[in-house]
Amino acid sequence: MTVLVLTCEEDLTADMVVANLHDLGVPLVRLDPADLPGRIDLSAEYVGKGFHGYLKTDERMVSLSGLRSVWVRRPGAPGSRAAEQSTWLTEESEQALYGMLTATRARWMNHPAAAVQARYKPWQLHTAQQSGFAVPATLITSFPAVARQFAAAYQDLVVKSVSGKHPGDPPMVLPTTRIGLDADFTAVAAGPTLLQQHIRKQADIRLTCVDGRLFAARKEADPEEVDGRFTQNGSWKPAEVPDLVRRSVAAYMSAAQLAYGAFDFAEDGSGTWWFLECNQGGQFGFIQLDTDQPITQAIATWLAAAPLA
Amino acid sequence: MRPFALSYARPAVKPEATTPYTYDATRQLNVLPDGSPATSSRLVLLATSATASTAGSKTHFDD
Repeated sequence: MTVLVLTCEEDLTADMVVANLHDLGVPLVRLDPADLPGRIDLSAEYVGKGFHGYLKTDERMVSLSGLRSVWVRRPGAPGSRAAEQSTWLTEESEQALYGMLTATRARWMNHPAAAVQARYKPWQLHTAQQSGFAVPATLITSFPAVARQFAAAYQDLVVKSVSGKHPGDPPMVLPTTRIGLDADFTAVAAGPTLLQQHIRKQADIRLTCVDGRLFAARKEADPEEVDGRFTQNGSWKPAEVPDLVRRSVAAYMSAAQLAYGAFDFAEDGSGTWWFLECNQGGQFGFIQLDTDQPITQAIATWLAAAPLA
Repeated sequence: MRPFALSYARPAVKPEATTPYTYDATRQLNVLPDGSPATSSRLVLLATSATASTAGSKTHFDD
């Protein structure tokens, strides 16, 4: 049976797992949904009480009933490389592709429905609370007065995007940023704003969870540093996972119905790991490069397992 | 009025265009000019930042 890898061609992180699957002798088909229609063709028939269908890309063809797992890595939007692109074509292509794939017995890393829910940061924060993590005080609001009250209560705040997305046109980045005591919150009325208590951290923690296997890495940080993604200092080293965090991760992954998740924590001066987010599609190659933790092997092993009965 | 958070945005730094690898559809992974897998070179992985935590930020929001 075959592993289906949905990602773009330039995804070197996917290459790391593909190489492992080759080593395991597991058949795979790698394709980018952006190439549907075009380099990808699909067909499924619903006749009688069942359905059968297949996908074709370049010289490879795979039966939908022959899929053991689907890995959603960095797929492009269906239809986005079509000769005549349109929102309608993207919707048609997405419905056709993911609609037929989700009806198979294949296991998902991660299931699209779970992924959509897991991307909502407000949902993440609440699920983290329910799972027993330490969560920094957070406010999401479009009321300037409420933002001012929150700032008065917590004093030292950061602002970050609610969606995790960066502004696109022109290309901008929006790192998590500390805001001054004299900030003017009037513009909070122009869009929902996420404010969070700033955790003075002594280290960043990235904990990668692959179906219950935990790979934690720690990078020392300057207490004044806020967003470690945009600094180049330090390297990641393997870290032990506290028992309390281990239990909370298990509870979170169960609630989220995720097979894969990349958790970010800020470790404060007392050693407490403060939950910042869980990225259901988070990168892991940079962690493995620094720590030699066998994350790609864990993912490949999971993908290579038998499909659901 | 510009949303509050956007006052903290800054221009994205365009990564240097160094992709010394090409996709090999037969092997379904990227290869270097000598045919070896791009992931076999730690230097390539580090130099391209292709696996970094911000590698997907431009087109995806899963860091």
